[in-house]
Amino acid sequence: MKWVFLAQISTAFLAICVGGIFMVSITFAATLESFGEALPEKVMDWTKSGEDQIYDDRTIFDYIDGAAEVYRAYGMKRCFSRRYSGPEGSAMILDIFEMASPQDAFGVFTHDLDGDPLDLGQDALYRAGWYRFWKDRFFVSMTMDQESKTADHAARKLGEAVASFIGVDGPRPVILSYFPSEGLQRGRIRFFHDSNLLNTHYYLSDENILYLNSRTDASLASYEHSQGSAEVLLVRYPDRGKASLAYKDFLTHYLPDADAKGFALLENKKWSAVSLSGELLAIVLEADTKPLAEWLLKEIMEKASKIP
Amino acid sequence: MADAKRVLTRRDFLRTGTCAAVGGLIGIPLLKPTVSRAVEQSRVVLVRNKDVLRSGANIRAEVLENMLDQAMCSLLDVPDAFSGWRRLFKPDDVVGVKSNVWYHLPTPGELEVAIEKRLVAAGVKGENISVDDRGVLRNDTFRNATALINTRPMRTHHWSGLGTLLKNYIMFTPRPSKYHGNACESLGALWQLPHVVGRTRLNILVMLTPHFHGVGPHSFSARYVWPYSGLIVSTDPVAADATGARIIQAKRNLFFGKESPISPPPHHIAVAGSRYGLGHSLPDRIELIKLGWKENLLI
Repeated sequence: MKWVFLAQISTAFLAICVGGIFMVSITFAATLESFGEALPEKVMDWTKSGEDQIYDDRTIFDYIDGAAEVYRAYGMKRCFSRRYSGPEGSAMILDIFEMASPQDAFGVFTHDLDGDPLDLGQDALYRAGWYRFWKDRFFVSMTMDQESKTADHAARKLGEAVASFIGVDGPRPVILSYFPSEGLQRGRIRFFHDSNLLNTHYYLSDENILYLNSRTDASLASYEHSQGSAEVLLVRYPDRGKASLAYKDFLTHYLPDADAKGFALLENKKWSAVSLSGELLAIVLEADTKPLAEWLLKEIMEKASKIP
Repeated sequence: MADAKRVLTRRDFLRTGTCAAVGGLIGIPLLKPTVSRAVEQSRVVLVRNKDVLRSGANIRAEVLENMLDQAMCSLLDVPDAFSGWRRLFKPDDVVGVKSNVWYHLPTPGELEVAIEKRLVAAGVKGENISVDDRGVLRNDTFRNATALINTRPMRTHHWSGLGTLLKNYIMFTPRPSKYHGNACESLGALWQLPHVVGRTRLNILVMLTPHFHGVGPHSFSARYVWPYSGLIVSTDPVAADATGARIIQAKRNLFFGKESPISPPPHHIAVAGSRYGLGHSLPDRIELIKLGWKENLLI
């Protein structure tokens, strides 16, 4: 009989057994080590092969050379990795990244938004041999080297076991609440801290003119509105001074031709605009029309005045 | 940030009517000081043979060796490959072959063996040849190298856009993260390190099964490799990488049915030319010689 415990946080006391009726008083937050014991060694025709591995933010380079910097940019603490062997030499790799916070788990999930949404964890996507979701402070990835319906089914079952073990949900970044909801493309919101990641999603400049770093929260969102399309960037700084400096440098280097209200017509005939409210910098990177840019900034500033 | 400093922004690309990705890829319009090389054009040889791969990614070593020899003859205008290797390497050279061990798509062992055989044939002593990747800083041959050969497969890369020949030298620094800023734009600086500068005699970009789109933490999916069956050979790493990048870009556009810029833009290629003077990235500065199989050439 295989026991899978439902992880709970702090004061919760509960465990469940898959395949039988079993109750036990236990309390623990999901840790990477506990995944090794809790997760099934066999999922349909896929069987655990090799030893589980745990990597930290330095040894991760030995494991995922090429992508490690993305995870480190979200404060990756450690990564649990398990390989499953399946029919005809196929393999499925489970990677569970423990991030600095639930917000960062959400953020790393938004790094690649290509795929079909799934009901798994707090948000999940599937694309061509890759399942991934986030829940609490964990980003979970299941990659398959051979695509098949049974492999998909197995990955899905494994994902459900991981999500069940994590148990609790985590909060999304507060900065998302500043986005006006009308026209917001919820499946295209990205959250990050790093200027390299901004340039990956929307190339802005070769210098970090917005002073993005691990202490700034930034979010990029797309709009499809009755007045046109738009791309909006919000940045929340740890203090007003840094926000003010970023505002000034953005105007200097990116919108030197802005009018007194911070609006400028770009070379591609779209409108860009910037506004500042306390620690929050709001930038309409491009909008099809000036009224749309005006509406977006007005809505964001109104929210900023209400949200602490 | 000093106001006086000229910052390159998206608007510079908009002004010239090209997108950031394309601008970063082909080297326009980089507004940094340009270091021009003495030669007008860099020669790049693209050689393909559809028989080099058996089913899957298994390599026919004899076909691969023949491709390498063909490339060498065309690259150096010599009647036989042996003459070419002897022109580039002397018997008293100590040669480090910088390979790549990334387990999804490593430098093929067959190619490493072929290179070693040709170096020995050119008179280089076997004990003065070493193939290495992650251990180059601890490898005595590399420490004492008078010459380097740089070889790796091309693939998409989360942080630099593409895993390139230029990026393959990241192992020559104990602090790789120092070169990660702005999509690794300063990778060319690696080539100026004292133990690297001026030593690279040959660059071989492996395009047998290039990887054109990254998926997941491992940045790899077998779905996004294809049997291009090629090698790109040049003494100019920038020109070789720029040529490979164009092929990857064309494959992405074809596969996804729309313009699908490599992301992040691999502008470290153009920057390596314009800022570090390592070669040419613009097509009109590259003399591209195409040999062998022409089907689905993509360039």
